[in-house]
Amino acid sequence: MHAVPRPLELRLLLPLVILVPLGFAVTHIAQTSTLDPGPMAVAIGYVGLMLGAHLALRLVGNRGDELLLPCVATMGGIGIVMLNRLPQELLGTDAFGVRFGMATTQLLWFGVGVSAMVLLAGRFRDDGVLRHYKYTWALAGTLLLVITFLFGREVNGARLWIFLGPIGFQPGEAIKVVLVIFIAGYLAEKRTLLAGASARIGPFSVPPLPYLLPMIAIFVIVMLVVVVSRDLGTALLFMGIFLTMLFVATGRRSYVLLGILLFIAGSFVAYNLFGHVRIRVDNWIDPFVDPSDRGYQTVQALYAFGRGGLFGEGLGQGLPTISGHLPIPALPTDFIFAAVAEELGLIGAFALLALVMCLVFRGLRTAMLARDDFSAMLAVGLTVSLGLQTLIIAAGNVKLVPLTGITFPFVSYGGSSLLACFVIVGLLLAISHRSVVDAQIEGRGQ
Amino acid sequence: MTGEVLRILLLVLQLGFLALLYLILIGFSRALLRDLRSAEVTQMASQSGIGRLSVVESPADEPALGSAIALGPINSIGREVNSTIFIDDDFVSGLHAMLTFRGRSWFIEDQGSTNGTYVNGHRIDRPVALSFGDELTIGRVRMRLER
Repeated sequence: MHAVPRPLELRLLLPLVILVPLGFAVTHIAQTSTLDPGPMAVAIGYVGLMLGAHLALRLVGNRGDELLLPCVATMGGIGIVMLNRLPQELLGTDAFGVRFGMATTQLLWFGVGVSAMVLLAGRFRDDGVLRHYKYTWALAGTLLLVITFLFGREVNGARLWIFLGPIGFQPGEAIKVVLVIFIAGYLAEKRTLLAGASARIGPFSVPPLPYLLPMIAIFVIVMLVVVVSRDLGTALLFMGIFLTMLFVATGRRSYVLLGILLFIAGSFVAYNLFGHVRIRVDNWIDPFVDPSDRGYQTVQALYAFGRGGLFGEGLGQGLPTISGHLPIPALPTDFIFAAVAEELGLIGAFALLALVMCLVFRGLRTAMLARDDFSAMLAVGLTVSLGLQTLIIAAGNVKLVPLTGITFPFVSYGGSSLLACFVIVGLLLAISHRSVVDAQIEGRGQ
Repeated sequence: MTGEVLRILLLVLQLGFLALLYLILIGFSRALLRDLRSAEVTQMASQSGIGRLSVVESPADEPALGSAIALGPINSIGREVNSTIFIDDDFVSGLHAMLTFRGRSWFIEDQGSTNGTYVNGHRIDRPVALSFGDELTIGRVRMRLER
């Protein structure tokens, strides 16, 4: 382990030195109508943290993908500018007798996330721990989920939080990573069996069910707990990850078709069984039926997109507060995309989505270059989880699919989500590092 | 009047923010394009092989530790010097195992060796399909199948 240069990463990170403080200054000027750029501590802290992450990756000798960190850092930069510009008392933490505002809390979580990322990117050399103990991981994850369901604290009608003293976190985010590890381990082991022989019923080839059963069993348990604890966005996300990974491992459309049919059936049952699902779907079909109560957030989000238009209201000039309250209560978490679209317009929203595309592209590239099935499946699963999560929440914001409460990766306010996203990037960096090093050994050997 | 100046300054700064954001995006897309072009080249160079064995453990250093053996479709493994993959180890039989690529996947079959062939630590008694990333143990040599 010795230091390596990462020149491209540094070059792509440097514009953030201007971008983030500029965003802070613009929003402060717009809101106070003075030439005062306002407090810069959080902006400087953020830029310093990302440059520090770059230096740390160099020091731990990671040769992995150099576009991942700048991509994530730019998304986070837009996010922290938006969060800093909102009323700070909206969300935040009371910890150690000090009140941290929203942006400060987010910055602290960025610190935690980046540390986890560097640790994984530098220290994670042997994937045996993940691969061989996949059932242990799945069991631990499921237990955590059940514990949350039984003893967690209820926030907004869903029991997803566990509090340790002042710090709360959502285990659902951790389960996402654990589930991907489990499915990757399972599919890598059984891939040849799954892609090979199968029974046929008429024109349809039926998957070799006995081989799939352990995985489906664990997946169903996880889905049940998630659905019962009313975390619909996560349920949709898990389903998408599961089907994509199954398709990537086997290359068979019949699995995906079967999965989609099951999903449609499941959605139908959920719609008729759970009141909160019905509310979400009815809101999606027509939020204007009840625009001041049930459809309120969706309607306000649509107005926000409308006000934003092509070029936006201008950074710091949108998002009017009604008697000190934001029109959209869940703005910093679920509706951050609507906030970006209102202030930066369609072109700003496109920029954000382009960054996500870049991230997904590099993640899939990492999977393609991976030397073994487990690493490849892991990289696919992790990447798809980030991409799908963005898709589900952005589409929910613009009323393309029913709204479900999940975060926009790296942009939304929320510690557990941020940490999970950085863990994902850390694992991608580790996988990418291994394939680069392997390719170099091969180059020398021949 | 100052209000007017401030408004214009704000507009310039706001546009500056968007412009900088798009400059960053251009930086990303250039990096992506450059990578795609170079990736094409490496792809062409590596497409000749269907797989390789990288040596994880080799007490006698034949095959050399850390080296990667390029594989053809049919490989004999053993202590016999004419084997495709020659292993110099007292615990390896003359013709120990056959490693073959059939259809879409790799198979390993023990050839009645004295000490057996192991896949991921389990001794095999019939031809076994391998996944990339699986570990073969033959004698005291451990090798990993990679693409």
